[in-house]
Amino acid sequence: MLTERETRKICDTLLELTKADDAVVDVSERIGGNQRFAANAFNTNGSSRERRFSITVWMDKRRGSASGTEFDDAALRRAAEQAEHIAKLSPVDVEYLPTLGPQKYKPVNGFVDATAQLSAAWRAKQLGGILGQCDKANVVGAGIFQSGAVSRASATRHGNFEFEQSTSASLSMTARTPDGTSSGYGLHNHFDVDRLDIAGVARRAVEKAQAGRDAQRLEPGVYPVILEPQAVGDILGFFGRAFDARNADEGRSPMSAPGGKTLLGRPVFDPKINFYSDPWHPELPGSQAAQDGVPAQKVHLVRGGTVENLAYSRFWAEKSGKEPTPGPVNQIFESTGATHSLTEMIAGAERALLLTRFWYIRMVNPRTQLLTGLTRDGVWLVENGKVKHPVRNFRFNQSVMQMLAPGNVEMIGKPERVGGLYPALKLKAFTFSSESDAV
Amino acid sequence: MRLSRRRFLMTTGTAAAGLAAPHWRIDAAAYEPGLSSAIKNELADIAVALARQLGASYGDIRINRYRIERISTRERQVQDVSLDQTFGFGVRVLVKGSWGFASSSEVTPDEVRRVTQEAVDIAKANASRQRKPVQFLEVPAVKANWRSAFKEDPFDVPIEQNIATLLKVNEAALAVSGVGFVNSSIAWVNEQKFYASTDGSRIEQYIIRGYPDFTVTAVDRGAGDFQTRDALGGPQGMGYEYLRNHDWVKEAKTAGEEAVMKLKAKRVTPGKYDLVLHPSHLWLTIHESVGHSTELDRALGFEANYAGTSFLTPDKAGKLQFGARHVNFFADRTQPAGLATVAYDDEGVPGQKWYLVRDGVFVDWQTTRDLAPLIGRKNSYGCLHSQSWRDVPFPRMPNVSLEPGKEDVSLDQLVADVENGILIYGNGSFSIDQQRYNFQFGGQTFWEIKQGKITGMLRDVAYQSRTTDFWNSCDGLGGQSTYALGGSFTDGKGEPPQSNAVSHGCPVARFRNVNVLNTDSKQGGGTGAETC
Repeated sequence: MLTERETRKICDTLLELTKADDAVVDVSERIGGNQRFAANAFNTNGSSRERRFSITVWMDKRRGSASGTEFDDAALRRAAEQAEHIAKLSPVDVEYLPTLGPQKYKPVNGFVDATAQLSAAWRAKQLGGILGQCDKANVVGAGIFQSGAVSRASATRHGNFEFEQSTSASLSMTARTPDGTSSGYGLHNHFDVDRLDIAGVARRAVEKAQAGRDAQRLEPGVYPVILEPQAVGDILGFFGRAFDARNADEGRSPMSAPGGKTLLGRPVFDPKINFYSDPWHPELPGSQAAQDGVPAQKVHLVRGGTVENLAYSRFWAEKSGKEPTPGPVNQIFESTGATHSLTEMIAGAERALLLTRFWYIRMVNPRTQLLTGLTRDGVWLVENGKVKHPVRNFRFNQSVMQMLAPGNVEMIGKPERVGGLYPALKLKAFTFSSESDAV
Repeated sequence: MRLSRRRFLMTTGTAAAGLAAPHWRIDAAAYEPGLSSAIKNELADIAVALARQLGASYGDIRINRYRIERISTRERQVQDVSLDQTFGFGVRVLVKGSWGFASSSEVTPDEVRRVTQEAVDIAKANASRQRKPVQFLEVPAVKANWRSAFKEDPFDVPIEQNIATLLKVNEAALAVSGVGFVNSSIAWVNEQKFYASTDGSRIEQYIIRGYPDFTVTAVDRGAGDFQTRDALGGPQGMGYEYLRNHDWVKEAKTAGEEAVMKLKAKRVTPGKYDLVLHPSHLWLTIHESVGHSTELDRALGFEANYAGTSFLTPDKAGKLQFGARHVNFFADRTQPAGLATVAYDDEGVPGQKWYLVRDGVFVDWQTTRDLAPLIGRKNSYGCLHSQSWRDVPFPRMPNVSLEPGKEDVSLDQLVADVENGILIYGNGSFSIDQQRYNFQFGGQTFWEIKQGKITGMLRDVAYQSRTTDFWNSCDGLGGQSTYALGGSFTDGKGEPPQSNAVSHGCPVARFRNVNVLNTDSKQGGGTGAETC
């Protein structure tokens, strides 16, 4: 992996190669390995090592960029000249702001050497064990184990330099019954492979597949739901983008309000909701640097249901007389107060649907954040505080703004790492528009 | 043999001397010439020999360069112009019935040896636990050098010409009263692919694709509403002639007018409608419901953890009435301007054409050299593809298209036989389940049809259906004159996810009695929809 010293040297070389008035350069090395399995056998795999750089220059406020993977002097020089050539041909960048001078960063702890060094033999052994569990449980397993590490540096003409390393490991698995009538899913990821719950992922996938047999039909419509953390992470995948300040000010965002206003400062969501970014969260470390190298900070987008911040780019902040937003660099959704376990949510439900996860979610109406998608890998009917029986899958059409509105969020669980950090949610109403035959 | 960087540069410099100077070559140093064929072959010799020596029954190396030129604008300003390049190689080996793949961006003989050894080590680590050894078809060795059928290489066109076109597009849209914003962009992609294998094949391909695009936004700030209209053209396997020949400026003006019109358009009443679907819309429905459902790797469960499986299980081939009798779908990796058009796939199998659905019956799959034997086939249809040198190649979709009707029926003729329907242009929101049964599609513009006439614009329209119900409800196909190619630049599949460019040709087509919902959540959030 590229060290801080090595990346600094490459950055310095690139900056020296351009005579542009201003410039920012990025250098990275990414190593990684993956192994897939399907139909209870090993499938494709890969191990990759890639070094990349990019250079963006401004000449008389005209901007040009180039990037490459070749690091000899001639290739770096070519890229610098290509960026300058593009800049000379481009119109003035009216959104140009000088690159940052020296900044102070508070390091993020998201790198574990053992995770970066995982071998193919180790992966094969772990997944071989999972295939054995599938045989014993009489399910058909498919999934992927991935791990990797990134070294990344950025430097500016005005003297800023920042370097960080991170690692990641993840396992996801789908178990299906041999007759194809039921499926279950598990996923976990972490920056430290020793904290990756490999056994838990396999156990959840297998148990759900076994419990989901003989799913019954249920009419689509509006139901109370209990969303497991994976389902919440899936459906809130678009949510962070809704907070862009410029789009809100321009009237083309769910955060826009009639009369040319925005929802900033308004109690739009249930008062139990906090939604924020925290670069130093011990379970979900983000990056030390937010947009354009601005040192990242903890940022609440929603606090107690009120829209506390919109995300201002450096340009839009300058134009609006605001500070650039130092994030988001990750997504954490949590309760402002008490949390409830899935067991408590089920026990407290008179009638609700319990959902594992969603699939193929797409934006239908960006103004209302109306999303469509489907349930997948386990739906159960809960009645009188007990899980009654599995139910066939549905398509949903649901506005996220309405889903998280005051009064619709009954209970919030403890956040779990499923991509971002998301909790289980018990919701009063959720709209299913049709039934799906898919398993 | 060790090739020094100096020798690489000397050789490639010589190779470049005979080529026309592209616009990047403002001076000699600004031109990225690439590695000569001779050096690629020498590196391939190293990988192939070492793979054999280490026990591989099959091995290949792909040494590829990818160039992407991107220009993006909004209103009267250019936001970004960039030239991104990535160059590297990947080695794939089959050892004791298990695959191993490794790749690197450092293209040197020593790194080729290291990566080949690593690929073999991965395969051996897996072989000890592999339960189902891979079966792999033999194919003849091929020596070929091929360029896709573009007329003007966009990487030879001055960048300012691209910028000027985009700014004209923006100006045309902004000239429409009520238009607030316009974003436009162009992405040009060049793949320079080299493939060599233990079969003895040596194949070089030079491929160009382009994707001009725009989105016009009209905002009603008083009501807190906004509507958009995207370009209908979409990406094509064409060169700069696509930007030159299509009237983007005229379309931008129309798009502006339609975006403004959408703000005041009549809201659709949920219910059953006949649909007349324009090729700029229908290609995406074909992609999701036909293209992905006929992937054999999905049917066999290989994508069960992410993209999903398929309702078209192997026992259904030749039996299932997929669509109406006049519905014929073909796969074609030789289709002119197709985004997935190639001379050879990423394991040396030639591009070809075959039927997936014939006379409405599902008849065949998309296959590769290790998939075909699993259903008793002795040949591959050539569907192996990787998005880059970095990623392992795996089964990807060829161009999949709907044949036009035998008679040259027009859009107007299809509309004339509709009492209560909707005509849809352009692709909007799209979603389909993991076995490709239940889907929902939006669009860009929706036009109400009453008693055979288009009576005005509708808004907030999406339709839901079930794949076989939908294609069996098709009772009218336009003729060849209505046929057009749409496509996706970035079709995702696999883990880690990979992107594939793919085209879908189709005529305008009519479907009866399809479930339509209203997508404005103030109007019910889709609750008016009936069960599919």
